[in-house]
Amino acid sequence: MGMGGLNTEAIPSQMSDLRVLACFKATPDFEALREADWATAAAGGVETRYVRRVLNCFDESALELALRLSETAARRGVRAELGALSVGGRDVEPYLKTLVALGYERATRVPPEAAGGESEVAGGESGLDFAPGVVASIIAAYAQRVAHSDLVVLGWRSGPGDSGTVPFRVAEALGWPCLTQVTEVEPLSDDRLRVACVADDGPLRLTLRGPCVLAVGNAVVSHLRVPTLKDRLARRHRPIEVLAAADLGVDIAAQRHRETCLPTGFETIDRSRRGVVIEGQSPHDKAQTLFDSRLRDIMETL
Amino acid sequence: MDLSREGVVDGLQRIVEPGDVITDEKILIESSVDNFRKLQNIFGVHTMPVPAAVVMARSTEKVAAILRFADRHGINVIPRTGGTATEGGLESAVPDSIVIDGSAMNEVVNIDAYNMQATCQCGVPLQVLEDRVRELGLTTGHSPQSKPVAHMGGLVATRSIGQFSTLYGGIEDMVVGLEAVFPNGAVTRIKNVPRRAAGPDIRHVVIGNEGALCFITEVTVKLFPYFPENNVFLGYTLKDMKTGFEALRAVMVNGYKPSVARVYDPGDAGLHFSHFVADDDCVLLFMAEGPAGIAKATAAGVEGIVAAFPECTRVDSAYIETWFNDLCWGPDKITAEDERIRQTRNVNRTTEISADWSSINDIYQAARARIIEEIPDITMMGGHSSHSYINGTNMYFNYFFNVVDVGPAEETTKYYLPIISIICEETLKRGGSIVHHHGIGKARAPWVKDEYGSSYYILETLKQAFDPDGIMNKGTIFPL
Repeated sequence: MGMGGLNTEAIPSQMSDLRVLACFKATPDFEALREADWATAAAGGVETRYVRRVLNCFDESALELALRLSETAARRGVRAELGALSVGGRDVEPYLKTLVALGYERATRVPPEAAGGESEVAGGESGLDFAPGVVASIIAAYAQRVAHSDLVVLGWRSGPGDSGTVPFRVAEALGWPCLTQVTEVEPLSDDRLRVACVADDGPLRLTLRGPCVLAVGNAVVSHLRVPTLKDRLARRHRPIEVLAAADLGVDIAAQRHRETCLPTGFETIDRSRRGVVIEGQSPHDKAQTLFDSRLRDIMETL
Repeated sequence: MDLSREGVVDGLQRIVEPGDVITDEKILIESSVDNFRKLQNIFGVHTMPVPAAVVMARSTEKVAAILRFADRHGINVIPRTGGTATEGGLESAVPDSIVIDGSAMNEVVNIDAYNMQATCQCGVPLQVLEDRVRELGLTTGHSPQSKPVAHMGGLVATRSIGQFSTLYGGIEDMVVGLEAVFPNGAVTRIKNVPRRAAGPDIRHVVIGNEGALCFITEVTVKLFPYFPENNVFLGYTLKDMKTGFEALRAVMVNGYKPSVARVYDPGDAGLHFSHFVADDDCVLLFMAEGPAGIAKATAAGVEGIVAAFPECTRVDSAYIETWFNDLCWGPDKITAEDERIRQTRNVNRTTEISADWSSINDIYQAARARIIEEIPDITMMGGHSSHSYINGTNMYFNYFFNVVDVGPAEETTKYYLPIISIICEETLKRGGSIVHHHGIGKARAPWVKDEYGSSYYILETLKQAFDPDGIMNKGTIFPL
C-alpha cells in the first residue's frame, strides 16, 4: 500500500443514496502516561511517542453512530455508504482496517506531513496537532472531491492540540451547516436526518434536509463495536487508501504557515487540593468529627 | 444442612455482632459470584444461588466460631477477601451458604525490616502492604495485575503470581508462615522460619487451597530491597512465537533472572504495542532489576543471549518502560472496561496454563487454531508467556469474543467454557498444567482428576482429612 493517487472512480457516487464520511484521530492514551513521565518533546508538546494510541473518544462515538445510521437506513430502504478518513500516520492503519472489517466501504488516511513523504516512524507525533485549519482543509477537500459526501460526522474535540474548531472549519469550507454536541443521528429518508444534540438550554431534536457537518459530543454511544476475526479475514484485501494532501489540493506547508496559534511551551496546572484524613475508631466517630469540625458551622449559617 | 436460611442468619448473629451479619439482597447477590460471571454482573443478571448471609470476620477467634457453627450444621462456607477471583472460586454453588468476608481483618501486624518479612491479616490489600514497605525502601516483590484491589488472604489462597515472578517467584516462594482456621475450628499457625526439613512443607496444604480446606487469617511474606532506579528495560520485535519461546528458554537456562521476561503473540501485542509494531509482530521483552551491578549484568546477559537470535529486532526501551508503568488494573480501569463491554458485548477472557519448553509452543498453536476454528464470534485470539522457569513457561491465553444471539447468562456455556475446554484438552494432551496462577475455581474443576492423575489421591485425602463434612467452598477444586 503506497501513497495512492486521487481515485474518485473507486465507488461510483450514484450507487448510494446517502454518503457518510466519518473522521477520526488516533490520540495518545494519556491515562497510560504517568504525570511523572511527562516530558517535553523536541518539537514542543508533551512527549507521547512511547504511549499507545487510542481512538479519540468523541470520534469513536462518531464512528459507531455512523455504523448505526447505516443499519437504520438499510432497514428503511436507504443505502448509506460509509467512508472513514483520518489525517494521520501509519499508526492509524489498524483503526482503518478495523473500520473496513466493520463494513466501512472506504478507508483513507492522509499523512500529516508536507510534501516529501511521510515519516517512517510509526507512532510519531502528528505534525498537525496545532494546525486545525490544515486538518479541516484536508477533510473538506476529501469530502468534496473524493467522497462526494452528504454528511460529515466527527468528534467535537480531540486530544492534544485540541482547538475545538475543526468541525466548524470543515463546515465553513464546505459551505454547510454545522450541528454541535450531537448525541444521536437517525436517517428518515435519503435526504432527511433526525439529529439529537445538546443546546445551551437543554436537549434538542432537529430534522435536517441537505448536507451538514455533525460534531458529536457526549453521546450515550461511546464505544465502537468490534469485528470478528472472520470479518477481518473476509475484508482483508480491501485496500487502505493513502492520499497525499497535495492530491487534495492542500499545501500543508503553506497553510501551516498561516496558522496563527502555535505552542511555545507547556506547564502543568496544579489542581491538587488540600486533604485532611479524619481519624476515628468507627465510622460514627469519624462522622461526628467531620460534623463538629467542618459542617456544624456551615449548617448553622444556613 | 439442618438449618433454614433464617436459622443460619440467627446462628451467625449469636456469634458475631449483629451488624456484621449482612443480609442486604444486593450485597448477597454480589457475593454469590466472582469475575467468572462478569458479563452477568455487568448486565445485572444473576443465576447463582443467593447466600444466606455475608459475615464480616473481625478476628481469628470469630472465624473459628463461624466455621464450627457451619461445620456442625453442614452449611457451605465461602471464604472471601478482595473478590478479584476469575475462575468461579467465589461462587456460591449451593443455596444458603455463608460467605466469610475477611476484608475487615486489614491490619498490617508487623513489618520486620531486619528479618525482611512482613505479617499482615488476610484483608490487607496488597497495594497497602506494598506502599507501606516501599516507605522503607523495600518491596514484597509481588505485583499481580490485581495488586490495587486484591487482598493478601485471597492471593495466598489462589497461589497468585506477580509480574516480577521470574526474579521473586510466585506467592508460594514468598510466604514464610501463616495462620489458618480449619472447619472444626482448629487455629493453626505455621511459624516464620527461613527453611526447615522437619517433614513435609505444610504451608502448601494452605497455599492454593482456594477456601476448599481452610480460611487463611494471617500471612507473613518475605521482603526485598527495592531499587527502581536500576531498572533496565529491553524490547524486541520478532515474527513468530516459537523463536520467542526459544529466546526465553535461552535466557532461563543460562541462569539469568530478569524480573520480567515475556513474549507476546501478534494478537496480544496489538492490544499493547500497536504504536510501534506491525500487524504480524510478536514482542519479546525483559526487565532487569535489583542492585545496580546485578541489574546491569542481567540486562547485558539477556541482551547478549537475544543477540544470538537474528530474528529479534531491538526497539527503543522507552516503549517497554512506558507500557510497564501502566500495567496494573485498579477500579478505574475495571469500570471503564465494564462500560465498554456493556456497549459492545465484546468480552475479554483469559486462561493460563503451563508446560515444559518442549510442549509450550505446540499447546499455544494447537489451542489457538482450534479456538479460531471451533468457537464463533471470536474477535481476538492471542496470548503471551509471562512467567518462565528453568524447565518451562506459562501461556496466558487472552481472547475476546462478541456475545451474539444469547443473553449474558449463556455467555459462559456458548463461549467461555468451550474455550476453556479446548485449552485444557490441548494442555493435558501434552503433559502441561491446566492452571498456572488463577486457581482452578469451579470453572476448571471438571478437569482436576486429569490434571492430577494418580496424585489426585493426595489431594482428595487432604479434603477428606481437613474438611470431612465437605462444608468448605463446595464445587471449588473438587467438582460437585
